[in-house]
Amino acid sequence: MKHLPRACALSLAAATALAMAACSTDPGDASSSGGSGDLKTGNGVTDSSINVGVLTDLSGPFAAGAAVQVTEFKAYWDQVNADGGVCDRDVAVDVQDHGYDPQKAVTLYRSMAPDVIALQQVLGGPTSAAVLPLAQQDDVYVGGVGWAGSALQYENNQLPGASYAIQGANAIDYMVDELNVAKGSKVGVVYFAGDYGNDALAGAQHAADERGLEVVAQEITPATTDLSAQASALAQEGVAGVVLGAAPAQLASLAGVLGSQGANVPIVGLNPTFNPSLLTTPAADALLANVYSITAVAPYASDTPAVKTASDLYTKADPQGAIGWEVPLAYVQAELLKQALDGACDSGDLTPAGVVAALRDSSSVDTQGLLPDGLDYSEVGQSPTTSVYVSKVDAQAPAGLKLVDELSGPSAESFSYGS
Amino acid sequence: MSYFLEQVLNGLSYGLVLSLIAAGFAIVFTSTGVLNFAHGSIVLFGAYLVAVLHPTIGFWPALLVGMAGAALVGVLINTLLVRHLADPNPGTAAILMLGVDIVLLTELTRRIGNKVLTLGAPWGADVVRFGDVSLPAGRVVAAGVTVVAFAGLWYLFSRTDLGVGMRAAAADGPTASLMGIRLSRTAATGWALAGVLAAVAGVFLTSFPAPGVAPTVALSAFAAIPAWVLGGFDSVPGAVVGGLLIGLTSALVTGYEGDLSPFLGTGFGEVAPYVVMIVVLLVRPSGLLGSKEAVRV
Amino acid sequence: MSELRASRLASRIGGLVLVLVALALPLVLSDFWLQAGLFVMATAIGAIGLTLLVGVAGQLSLGHAAFAAIGAYVYAWSTGESTTTVGGAGLPPVVGLLLAAAVSALIGAAFSPVAGRLRGIYLGLATLGLVFVVRHLLVNLDQWTGGFTGRNVAPFAIAGFSFSNKSPDFLAVAGVEFEGLHRLWYLFLVLALAAAWLAGNLRSGRTGRAWANVRDSETAAAAMGIGVARAKASVFVVSSAYAGVAGAMLALAYGRIAPDVFSLTASVDFLVMIVLGGLGSVGGAVVGALFVTALPLVLAEYSGSLPFLAAPGSGGLDPSTASRIVYGLAIIAVLLFLRGGLAGAARRLRHRASRTPAAPPAASTANPGTASPSTQDDGHPAEVTPSRSKETTR
Repeated sequence: MKHLPRACALSLAAATALAMAACSTDPGDASSSGGSGDLKTGNGVTDSSINVGVLTDLSGPFAAGAAVQVTEFKAYWDQVNADGGVCDRDVAVDVQDHGYDPQKAVTLYRSMAPDVIALQQVLGGPTSAAVLPLAQQDDVYVGGVGWAGSALQYENNQLPGASYAIQGANAIDYMVDELNVAKGSKVGVVYFAGDYGNDALAGAQHAADERGLEVVAQEITPATTDLSAQASALAQEGVAGVVLGAAPAQLASLAGVLGSQGANVPIVGLNPTFNPSLLTTPAADALLANVYSITAVAPYASDTPAVKTASDLYTKADPQGAIGWEVPLAYVQAELLKQALDGACDSGDLTPAGVVAALRDSSSVDTQGLLPDGLDYSEVGQSPTTSVYVSKVDAQAPAGLKLVDELSGPSAESFSYGS
Repeated sequence: MSYFLEQVLNGLSYGLVLSLIAAGFAIVFTSTGVLNFAHGSIVLFGAYLVAVLHPTIGFWPALLVGMAGAALVGVLINTLLVRHLADPNPGTAAILMLGVDIVLLTELTRRIGNKVLTLGAPWGADVVRFGDVSLPAGRVVAAGVTVVAFAGLWYLFSRTDLGVGMRAAAADGPTASLMGIRLSRTAATGWALAGVLAAVAGVFLTSFPAPGVAPTVALSAFAAIPAWVLGGFDSVPGAVVGGLLIGLTSALVTGYEGDLSPFLGTGFGEVAPYVVMIVVLLVRPSGLLGSKEAVRV
Repeated sequence: MSELRASRLASRIGGLVLVLVALALPLVLSDFWLQAGLFVMATAIGAIGLTLLVGVAGQLSLGHAAFAAIGAYVYAWSTGESTTTVGGAGLPPVVGLLLAAAVSALIGAAFSPVAGRLRGIYLGLATLGLVFVVRHLLVNLDQWTGGFTGRNVAPFAIAGFSFSNKSPDFLAVAGVEFEGLHRLWYLFLVLALAAAWLAGNLRSGRTGRAWANVRDSETAAAAMGIGVARAKASVFVVSSAYAGVAGAMLALAYGRIAPDVFSLTASVDFLVMIVLGGLGSVGGAVVGALFVTALPLVLAEYSGSLPFLAAPGSGGLDPSTASRIVYGLAIIAVLLFLRGGLAGAARRLRHRASRTPAAPPAASTANPGTASPSTQDDGHPAEVTPSRSKETTR
């Protein structure tokens, strides 16, 4: 390495000379956006096509569910293109796999950003947390990052339905109003460390304060698949119900252990906590008896026309595919982006910034029963809705969840971020 | 009081399962000097075989196949890869195992998908009650099996030619070789034993109270690393002591999370094993039961 | 010795060409490659620090990401402005970068008495614990760190020139607009070259020889008058400072940091870099960083264009899974087939090309297994731990 100083000096000198000769700080005519007629276009848009990006996890922990969503995305846009496309253009989806690795997510974002008008999905907590600020700087729409409240601060982000805090607050409201959890009793909140779990806890805590309940919080990580210690701790406190902000493996373990200890209390799992394959585990009886699921998106078994359309599209695209809550979710994410693209087209600004502006102009979005009606995206930092879907585990229902209620509880309505 | 007792029993029974994994680390390390970063994948592989096979051939035959399969994978890794390293030393071997882990884990994750595969273990979701303390039946079985397994290991290492040979090879390979002990055989036996223990541990880690086989199980093997280290790298009894200590620590820290979190922050259960490990190492630099190192000039 | 001089000259010219290429690259590369390059240069500095610690001084560490995390957060805290949720000192970025190195070095120094008590693989796994402890602190000290979701990182700036898309808002060189990524590229290149040069000097100088002696035999080193504890402490300080700078650079490359960035995987990846590159070799650490950091990125970006793979979700072998498996297999292949790692292979190639059985260049560790007998003092393959017969007796 002895040669380095001289090499360094030489090359620095060369570079300086070069830079002096060629450097400029005058942007000149740098406007790259063009387009025909009155329509302004930008990155990812040509006269015949619109490119949207998807950054997902096809090789990491969420690979299987993510693959279901990718299949549905593609089926959705094929359908849209067959019906004439968006703004007279065909929509193409560019899917890249970040494997749940933030470094890959950031690098792939860099490669994708110049060629897409919007990112329909950036899956995963750490990955979306790394990409969101970069996309905000570039004024690029980002959808499908999950429901964590920490993503609400980004103007360019569109949450598909109620945030986790709203889901958590509704879970408490539902337990008090429908499941006979009395004022003054204790409720457990078992949650993943991180943006998902902490947001759910915040909402549940708010609701518990409003409704006169006491929260017993238990933090876990995704690697915790045996919840006997947590279950004993909750049983010891004599909780009258549990809110679970975790994943399917944790739901099965918690329900199973509580059931085997004779603690016959309702367990309300938030959005991604249920999976139909749990019904084959030894915990199936406990799940059927006590478990409810609160989701931001209508469950697979919902009978609204749009959910039917979503599942028909999916079964046609992949007849052997695993069914579950990912199907309506993927459909509605694509639908939300389509509405934003349509809005940008109508206002004559089909650029990344135009899509973000269209998103923030929409104060009452309807999705034909996939999400609660009247989603309000005009206020940055707050959940677009306070309504959620409540389902009960049911072996007969498709994907194992039967819709029982659409709910907007009083504590969910009084919850506000940043207060 | 019964709550405390329940957490203690929970912790000890979980600790025994951890010690099966920790013993696997220790046996591989003493017989071939390899820090086996792929051990978690082997645990997962054993459990995966049982989960896939039990519907057709029944749980017990599936368990046997799982044990044999995990043992075979270990032996193959050793004969096909570890013995052909370009620079055979503990550092390259550890990184080699990391490469193996990436390949195995990625393929298993793809096969499992987002399903939770059940094991069909005969104890199901049963619970055993001792007075007012209850313990999942699977845990009681695990404790029994672990005790039997370690008794078997003790017999092997102290009463059979093969086991004594393995200890000799571990203590001084070249000399053992001169005395007619075939190092390739002792190494293969070590990997096979570790594989068998891994498959058994995998079954207990994925049956009730855990829901079933999911890729995160491979991470649980990492929880056994502190157990292995604080017991002493080359000591199977150390793995048992370490496992029990770590199991107890995690159960109590988790069970009393509410009382501890104001001082220690939330989620301390995850770090506690490592804190215990560092403290033990500071007091006893070669672990609780590890052989003292002597530096030869 | 004229052959030796010729080969030195050749490697100098080679180095110069490489530097010139690195300087010119931002003119032609796309954002993807620029971002990948930033990650490579940042991790390369971390790997250089680790190879001094593990390869030269023989102190195994699996906790390098913990020191990188400290550097990253010290930079983010000291240069950030206080907001309602997280605190910040609002210091100039240059001060922040120096603080990142200094605080990491200090914590490395504080850890070195622990390191002094432990040896080999015990030390490695104790440092593994450090990763978990630091992560726990990062998640819980949220008024400084932003907790689990992390905090934003202020862009680097010197004398009003910002290494971001703003201030100056527009800058072009030879007709190519120089945005934040381009500007950071040069900052990182300067830091990486300085770090490599310094490490090369340290390694071949008095300090490096002392470290290598401690690695080979502490008793012999002590007999020769080397302060063993001091040597161990100094190498921990140097390597932690390198990790701290690497962490601050990662923070700049991301623009936002969270505890997840500095996971156990990141720690182990540093070790993979130096082992694949060839332990103890500065050049090897850089090549290792290129391999470990860039290969998965490139595989992820381009695997989709491979025609024979199945669509995601169809149950077949999809491109993403395939690229991950290829990465694992690549690691295995290097370790099975390349003696002395990537650096060793490159050295043999060069020797074959120039047909000079001369001493290897100073930048790399000689290996007794290769065809080049060496009389240099560092002519030992650096092992992570001393051989077991030396370490454990019963």
